[in-house]
Amino acid sequence: MTGTFGEENLMRLRTVLAASAASIALSAAAQADGYRIGITQNNVGVDSYQTTYEQAFIAAAEADDGIEAVVLDAGGDVARQIAQIEDLIQQEVDAIIIWPTNGEAVIPAVRKAKKAGIPVIVTNSNIAEQGFDFIASFSGPNNITQGARAAEIMCDKFKDMGIAGEAQVVHITGQPGYTTAIERAKGFEDRLPEICPDVTVLDTQPGDWNREKAQTVMEAFLTKYDDIDGVYAGDDNMGVGALNAARAAGRDGIVFVGATNFAVGYEAMERGDYWGSIYQSPVDDAEAALQTAIDVLDGKDVPLLNYFDTPKITQDNMGDFTKPVF
Amino acid sequence: MATLTKKDIGGFLARQGILLAFALFMIGFTLANGRFLDPDNVMGVIRSSAILGVMALGVTFVVISGNLDLSVGSMMSFSTIVVLDLHDKLGPALAIPAMFAMTLALGAFIGFLVGYLRLNSLIVTLGMLSAIHGLTLTWSGGKNMDIADKAGTWFDVFGRGEVLGIPVPILMFLLLAVTLGTALAKTPFGRKIYAVGGNGTAATFSGIPRARVVFSCYLVSAFCVATAGLLQASRSMGSQNTVGQGLELEVLAAVILGGASLMGGSGTIFKTVIGVLILGFIQNGLLLVGLPFYVQYVVTWVIIILAVWLDIAAKRGRLWSPIA
Repeated sequence: MTGTFGEENLMRLRTVLAASAASIALSAAAQADGYRIGITQNNVGVDSYQTTYEQAFIAAAEADDGIEAVVLDAGGDVARQIAQIEDLIQQEVDAIIIWPTNGEAVIPAVRKAKKAGIPVIVTNSNIAEQGFDFIASFSGPNNITQGARAAEIMCDKFKDMGIAGEAQVVHITGQPGYTTAIERAKGFEDRLPEICPDVTVLDTQPGDWNREKAQTVMEAFLTKYDDIDGVYAGDDNMGVGALNAARAAGRDGIVFVGATNFAVGYEAMERGDYWGSIYQSPVDDAEAALQTAIDVLDGKDVPLLNYFDTPKITQDNMGDFTKPVF
Repeated sequence: MATLTKKDIGGFLARQGILLAFALFMIGFTLANGRFLDPDNVMGVIRSSAILGVMALGVTFVVISGNLDLSVGSMMSFSTIVVLDLHDKLGPALAIPAMFAMTLALGAFIGFLVGYLRLNSLIVTLGMLSAIHGLTLTWSGGKNMDIADKAGTWFDVFGRGEVLGIPVPILMFLLLAVTLGTALAKTPFGRKIYAVGGNGTAATFSGIPRARVVFSCYLVSAFCVATAGLLQASRSMGSQNTVGQGLELEVLAAVILGGASLMGGSGTIFKTVIGVLILGFIQNGLLLVGLPFYVQYVVTWVIIILAVWLDIAAKRGRLWSPIA
């Protein structure tokens, strides 16, 4: 069906060399213990998050004279990603960063890298647990925490509104089967009854990370339930789709909470239509991955699950955050 | 006094088996959830289906001519992204015709490859599915496209507007369905399409310019895709690059569900519309019934197979018919 999109990305191989004239003289020492770090990304260009991530990664690598980065993109294709990992092993890079296209299928290739003595850092979305033995570290957001924080944002708002004893919520998840979608849903559904035991989750349906699909799902929810007080969507794209449906149906006063704050979500918050989200910056994500790789190579003690912080953002504190570029 | 004979009823069933299937599902869902037939819900489903529906109208032309079009999903993403981007750069009045021109150019290119170079339409449009996706990503740089000033434009009229209480997407879907349905059923152009898809050799000997007919069908399809992109962009006022991803198969399912033959030469716009509505109401009905979503995939498939079976069985006049 959607199979092998991104043929235009055919093995984009970009070598980023930090070699400005000024730095050559200065960096003799840095070159001596400099690192070559390879990265194979999931699908650059398929969404703004991944596009921004790549730009930030290249910028961070260029800013560090001791780093030479080999930047690859799998175009969403598992087979291509495995081939890229094998290429990077052949090139004898010092470390490999992987944004998995599939959390299970890449494990044999990861194992091969470990056998070759090359540490592997997984970024953004983790590989399946049976692969944990072969990786040096996972650098990325904690999606269970994100789901739990979204539940807290929603519960706090219900308490402010004085409806925490009776509020009813619908839940729109990401694509079924995706780790990120599953973890966020779990975090939300586990945390909500702990803090707001009287809030009911009426229904849960997938919006597939797709704004249009989420809008259609929300339309059905609005038909089915006369009283909806809150919507939790697995990301802001879907949250805004649900918001569009509620506005078209003239249903006001619903508390919308999402995750991965997108520019559209931020704008809806500015307008007062959308209550809150989780701020996850692709720039932080990319820089954390590179830093984790450097720390591993420097021999520092790096936790296996090396999360970067993804704070709560609501209409109350959004002034502390810049508008997302994606 | 006119009396209905058994033969009349049989004849009606044979022609309209898919309508019978549609009616059965509607009754079933209504029994499961009384709100299913709420005017608001029905209107909502038709409005959501309008985008898929408009695309299916064009693909019906292509399928009747004996070809396939798998590129419509990614072409719709292209139209949506392009019109949104140009909206902020040129203003809506120029953005819309510019987007239509570009989408029609893509359709013309496909029509040229299939019609005049006689390349296999499956390969051509499967390739174009990828190529156009790449084109879209190159255009947008992979970023989501959003209209900056959503309050200060009339662009949302296509997706969100209403005329006499009826949503504009439904009106555009109806208008296109009537126009294209008439063109297909009542004009020489339409008859040529059936002839080309039904028996190409005979069509050639009748003096029908096959290449031009096939080429025109892809233009019709591209026009429908551009309209769908316009509705989509206007409905959400912003879009991901992958908005149409996977729609090509849903569109094809609707067209086949409507009884068009993949071999070409048969199918009608009216039945495609019924196919589109069946898909739309299944999705909505299952949401209202509230089945767990992993089960919904299976149930959707079961319903589609049932519909196809009822349609075929009505045509054959029997339920059981093994390959002899």
